[in-house]
Amino acid sequence: MKNKIMTDLDIKQKNKTVKAEPDKVKKADESVVIEFQNVSKKYSANIEAIHDVSFNVLIGEFISLVGPSGAGKSTLVKLLTCEEKPTGGKILVAGRDISELKKKELPFFRRKVGVIFQDFKLLPKKTVYENIAFALEVCDAPDSEIKEKVPKIIDLVGLTNRAFSFTEELSGGEKQRVSIARALVHNPKLLIADEPTGNLDPVSTWEIIELLFKINKQGTIVLLASHDKEVVDSLQKRVITMKDGKVVSDQQKGKYNL
Amino acid sequence: MQLFTTLTRITKTALISLWRNRWLSLAATLVMILTLFTVSFFTCLLLMVNSTTTMLRSKVDISVYFNDSVSNDQIFSIENTLLARSDVKSVDYISKEKALEVWRSQNTDNTQLRDIINDAYNPLPRSLEIKTDQPEDLEGVNTFLSSTDYKPLIKEISYRKNKDLVDRLIKITTFIKYVGWILSGLFVIISILIIYNTIRLTIYARSEEIEIMKLVGASDWYVQGPFILEGVVYGILAAIISSLILYLAAQLFLPAAGNYLGVANVSTLISNISFFAIIVIQLLVGIFLGTLCSVFAVKKHLK
Ligand SMILES: Nc1ncnc2c1ncn2[C@@H]1O[C@H](COP(=O)(O)OP(=O)(O)O)[C@@H](O)[C@H]1O
Ligand SMILES: [Mg+2]
Repeated sequence: MKNKIMTDLDIKQKNKTVKAEPDKVKKADESVVIEFQNVSKKYSANIEAIHDVSFNVLIGEFISLVGPSGAGKSTLVKLLTCEEKPTGGKILVAGRDISELKKKELPFFRRKVGVIFQDFKLLPKKTVYENIAFALEVCDAPDSEIKEKVPKIIDLVGLTNRAFSFTEELSGGEKQRVSIARALVHNPKLLIADEPTGNLDPVSTWEIIELLFKINKQGTIVLLASHDKEVVDSLQKRVITMKDGKVVSDQQKGKYNL
Repeated sequence: MQLFTTLTRITKTALISLWRNRWLSLAATLVMILTLFTVSFFTCLLLMVNSTTTMLRSKVDISVYFNDSVSNDQIFSIENTLLARSDVKSVDYISKEKALEVWRSQNTDNTQLRDIINDAYNPLPRSLEIKTDQPEDLEGVNTFLSSTDYKPLIKEISYRKNKDLVDRLIKITTFIKYVGWILSGLFVIISILIIYNTIRLTIYARSEEIEIMKLVGASDWYVQGPFILEGVVYGILAAIISSLILYLAAQLFLPAAGNYLGVANVSTLISNISFFAIIVIQLLVGIFLGTLCSVFAVKKHLK
């Protein structure tokens, strides 16, 4: 019962036909995992962060979501993690409208999604190790798995010597690495990265992008929100460009062109 | 098995954050101690005074001493009249011989004084010892005996020494009943508000933490669990400390209280109070309050 959402996300059941979208090559329905259908988000009467956005995300895709700051990238991410609810339209994940997830189902949905938050969202009174272990603990992972995986991923993001520091004491770049490690540690089916390289130096930036690539190759869908032109251009992957809350272009092997 | 793992994790998280937020924990615990102590202190006091009053009430009596000129028949007829009254519990006749016996037993250590009165010379009067159901009824008996009909027969009427004590106890009991209950009731309400707000503040200070936990996929009860457990720990700690203070207070002030009340053996004062029951009740109340306040406070952040 509690695995409903997970298996849904795994087997990508689809029972709805998708409206034709002219600027996109559409594959078979079975490969559509996430569907934005005319989604709008108004924070208040005169602040509309997202306006009538529609696109599909297919199985195994690596998508860059680009646009100037204020374009609505973070809002889109929040809608996808149910941190905010759309004021118009629908977001379907594995065929289910996520705004209709029950209170009990929401945690299970979130455990299948890894998010690297733009503002990190680390637990301030906990150490690096505890923060990362927490993502596994909530998934009911056994202690042995936690003991094995957490040090590995801490090593992977290069924070071994800060493992037992409180996250409050870390620099921006270090916090970003913790946030990345936490998003990855439980092998999510969908990885959302909101400006994950914003606080990193060029070398680290490429290391992180490399990591995202590797995860994508293992089958995880990656949604990368970024305004780093250099990074996006080098990826040679699908690029969705946003401006003032609207999708202005959606290209395979796209470039950052604003 | 899974439940056990989750419980262990929640417990661990709770204990760690109790320690890391130790000042807030301390504040919450202190307020809880205040509540538990106030309530249990007044409860004990009331129980103590109640039991003392009951014990002493049964000992209150009035003695009527008769002139030697009065015949035994007259005394017995008075005895029967008294027994017929509804407020009189018992009447004992003390003959001259009985009075002498009592005199002797009371003065064993002073033989000179003891032997002033003997079988040959016994000026001790005959008397009736009257007990009533309520100490308040003694006054009526006194008035009855003081009436003109009996006045010439009677040498003296005396209340026993306990009368003063009982009067004092009745006053204290009334005082504690009204002031004590109002005061502890007030304290409980104030304390619940303070505990609730203290816990709310601790949780508010950590609302970011709660939000993040939820975003990472923690279930509601995984988020709530540690906070509720912290509330339980405040309750347990407070109950233990409050019981200790109560115990020490009893050790310190019981002798003085016994003195004031004129009770030689102070243990009789607390004979009907079970210290074990007090600890258990405080624990239960503490855990209940801590849980209740945490649940209400954390609920606000889980919507
Ligand atoms: N919680 C909020 N309340 C009101 N307005 C918001 C809120 N979050 C974002 N916005 C507004 O929505 C717009 C899009 O913001 P955001 O999604 O953060 O853009 P981006 O991540 O692309 O920089 C901005 O104009 C921003 O001011
Ligand atoms: Mg943003």
